Amino acid sequence: MRAVTNGAIATLAVACVALPLFGSSYQIYLAELIFINIVAAIGLNLLTGNCGQISLCHASLMAIGAYTTALLTTRVGLTYAAALPAGTMVTTLLGASLGYPARRLSGLYLALVTLGFLEVVSIAIEEFPELTGGVRGLKLEQPELAGWPLSIGVLYYFVLGVTAFAIYAGWNIQRSRFGRAFNAVRQSVIVAQALAIPPERTKLLAFCIAAAFAGLAGGLFTAVVGFIDPTEFDVSASLRQITFIAVGGLGSVLGSVVGAVVLTLLPEMLRGAKEYSDVVYGAILLGTLVLAPKGIVGSLTLLSGWTGHPKARSS
Amino acid sequence: MSLLTLDGVSVSFGGVAAVRGVTMRVEAGEIRGLIGPNGAGKTSLINVITGIVRPDGGAIRFADRDITALAPDVIAARGVGRTFQHVELFREGTVLDNVLTGLHRHHVYGIAAAVGGFGRARHVEGEARREALALLQVFDLATLAAAAVSDLPFGVQKRVDLARALAARPRMLLLDEPISGMSETEADAAVAAIRSLASERAITLMIVEHNMRVMMRLAARITVMHEGGILAEGTPAEIRDDPKVVDAYLGERDEDA
Amino acid sequence: MTWRIASQLALSGLSVGSIYAIVAVALAIPFKASRVLNFAQGELVTLGAYIALLLTSCGIPYAVMVPGTLLIAAACGIALERLFIRPIIGAPEFTLVIATFAIGLIIRALIRIHWQDNVFFLPAPYAGPALAIGSLRVNPAYLVMIGTTAGLIALLALFFQRTRLGKAMRAVATDQTAARLMGIGVNMVFGSAWALSSAIGALAGLLLAPVIGVNPELGHVIIKGLVAAVIGGFGSLGGAVVGGLLLGMLETYAGAFFGAAFKEIIPFAILIALLLVRPQGLWGATQVRV
Repeated sequence: MRAVTNGAIATLAVACVALPLFGSSYQIYLAELIFINIVAAIGLNLLTGNCGQISLCHASLMAIGAYTTALLTTRVGLTYAAALPAGTMVTTLLGASLGYPARRLSGLYLALVTLGFLEVVSIAIEEFPELTGGVRGLKLEQPELAGWPLSIGVLYYFVLGVTAFAIYAGWNIQRSRFGRAFNAVRQSVIVAQALAIPPERTKLLAFCIAAAFAGLAGGLFTAVVGFIDPTEFDVSASLRQITFIAVGGLGSVLGSVVGAVVLTLLPEMLRGAKEYSDVVYGAILLGTLVLAPKGIVGSLTLLSGWTGHPKARSS
Repeated sequence: MSLLTLDGVSVSFGGVAAVRGVTMRVEAGEIRGLIGPNGAGKTSLINVITGIVRPDGGAIRFADRDITALAPDVIAARGVGRTFQHVELFREGTVLDNVLTGLHRHHVYGIAAAVGGFGRARHVEGEARREALALLQVFDLATLAAAAVSDLPFGVQKRVDLARALAARPRMLLLDEPISGMSETEADAAVAAIRSLASERAITLMIVEHNMRVMMRLAARITVMHEGGILAEGTPAEIRDDPKVVDAYLGERDEDA
Repeated sequence: MTWRIASQLALSGLSVGSIYAIVAVALAIPFKASRVLNFAQGELVTLGAYIALLLTSCGIPYAVMVPGTLLIAAACGIALERLFIRPIIGAPEFTLVIATFAIGLIIRALIRIHWQDNVFFLPAPYAGPALAIGSLRVNPAYLVMIGTTAGLIALLALFFQRTRLGKAMRAVATDQTAARLMGIGVNMVFGSAWALSSAIGALAGLLLAPVIGVNPELGHVIIKGLVAAVIGGFGSLGGAVVGGLLLGMLETYAGAFFGAAFKEIIPFAILIALLLVRPQGLWGATQVRV
């Protein structure tokens, strides 16, 4: 089983690297969207799947990353290579500013606070049209990557590289003592405390990490899409990201990847209006929650026991 | 100076006093038993000491520092560990995951190192794994390292709980019914293990148990609780012969006594 | 700030506040009964408006359409509870929160597939030009909103105090296990709670639609309902009502004094501040499992 999976991963990796050589520009664009969703999903999964914190504002953080990166390139004149990490850091700070006061909350109340944060961000985007372009959105010119004009190929490999790094980072975090702390806090706060794991600081860290991934994804979005439409970062966008991780598998980096890939491709294949894709997303999400809460990866490990035993989440 | 001092500690829940003015001292290196009929307040007392519940009155000192109002994770960091009556393992993990989590405080590296995945993080993780496996060896769990805890029988889970608590390197360990649910042979093995651990690692123990046979063999001194207060304190022989204690137990319907 | 303007604002604030109160009450009922916060409640408001639209376009007179809408909405609530909520009742909070969100998403998307984003006009017999009462100009719809809310509260109070079903709901809300032991059909209570809250949500839709028009975004009012419920503390229906009215008043006055941007921000500023400082709300029980 292990050999099959490794083989599959290797094939996929080769396909990803070779894509610009024989793929259409539409396929390349689609792949880049998938990569962006993977990055966002990994961050959210660490926060929600591993640490058990519900966040309804992940899309807002992604928007913040997108706007910040965009403004840093267009207004401040940074190169994209500098604007991207800077935008990520700004998003992380803003995520911390929410995560710090919210560190004592969980469950429903946390969900509500993140919802409030999302609404506040939406209002802020509308109220500062000089910065954000308001409801009409923000259009950007093609950024340059440290002097190189971003051709299709260069941009693609850049996004692929950042995504690969994000997967690597997420995988490392999950297997580290921090990943264990996240899982501990999620499963039992009392036991975590008995082992000297500080629950609030752990939750805050998870929040910051999620914000960092979201900001990174947003910054990539800026370069790939070239236009930021604020209505694309509303509650249903956050829900879509939650669908990625719920369907893919909570608490697993592989689950984030699988979920993002499958659920980004799906509406493209359906090729219908947004409403149809919403119905399908909603139905898949609801179906998963009710029938298969462990998601794709979780259910597979349960069935095949390929890690040796049915556990989905740890080292 | 005693390792653990309780001074007039009281806790009430919704108007019912679970712990009433408990004053006691536990010396370093002791194995102290804590017994009492159901509802005497033993688990509440453990919860107060470990900081899960804040006392309404009184003070608690550990290693000569006040821990009365501290957060549970801070108290644990000071060296107070515990096991749980109903085990409470991380059910979605393996045996190794659980014990590794116990080592959280002792094999440290920062988030940046964790993200990078090599260098310091890898080195420290290796050390952590070695210590965890060594601990599993002590408890005869090494072959089960990769087993999912939810599959394990209750007695084995209790061993994992103990191993995990020990991974945190506590100075004092509060064991909440460590033997309950075990078979005779398991219980005997557990008693031997607990005793040797206490002496080898210089850990002070406070054990809550209903199994009198085990308690008499393990504990050097026993504290008897009744209706939230301390009824008696002394050696196992003294306690066994104390009329107050006999009354309290005969007055309740307690099968294990 | 003259007396006239203040009263005008108060009326406006109370009327919008009564809508918030209705939504907050609709949220509180299934929450108290089954500890599920229905994030699809907004879409039930929208659904109510569209059901009303459908019935009206079939030529059904208003007096029949209103109870008809409420009944259909209640039936939808029962169906939702039976099909999607009951299977996940014991599930972790994440599942409960996201499932109701998903239901809302589906409902809204289905509505938009059928009716697109058009805004439809829903006629109501009381809609008309502003009445002159004293020196005030009063939109009759405002009066109907406030009056309906008052009537709803009275009816609910009677329901929970006097009827068997109402008392059963209170029992289940207080202690589910004890209620079960007393022979109360907990599942039936759950279904009734959802039927009731769907009907109440539809009522809000009926009141909103003549003023704003029937459109898929009506459900946005749930956010205000949530804030109102948090202000009042989730445990208490009375708190939900007061929370709604308070929010309506605060919003309206804030808007008048400080402008539109402030008016938009203030509900969320209150929400976040309350959740961080006093999540149990102004009236909620002090035992909050946060």
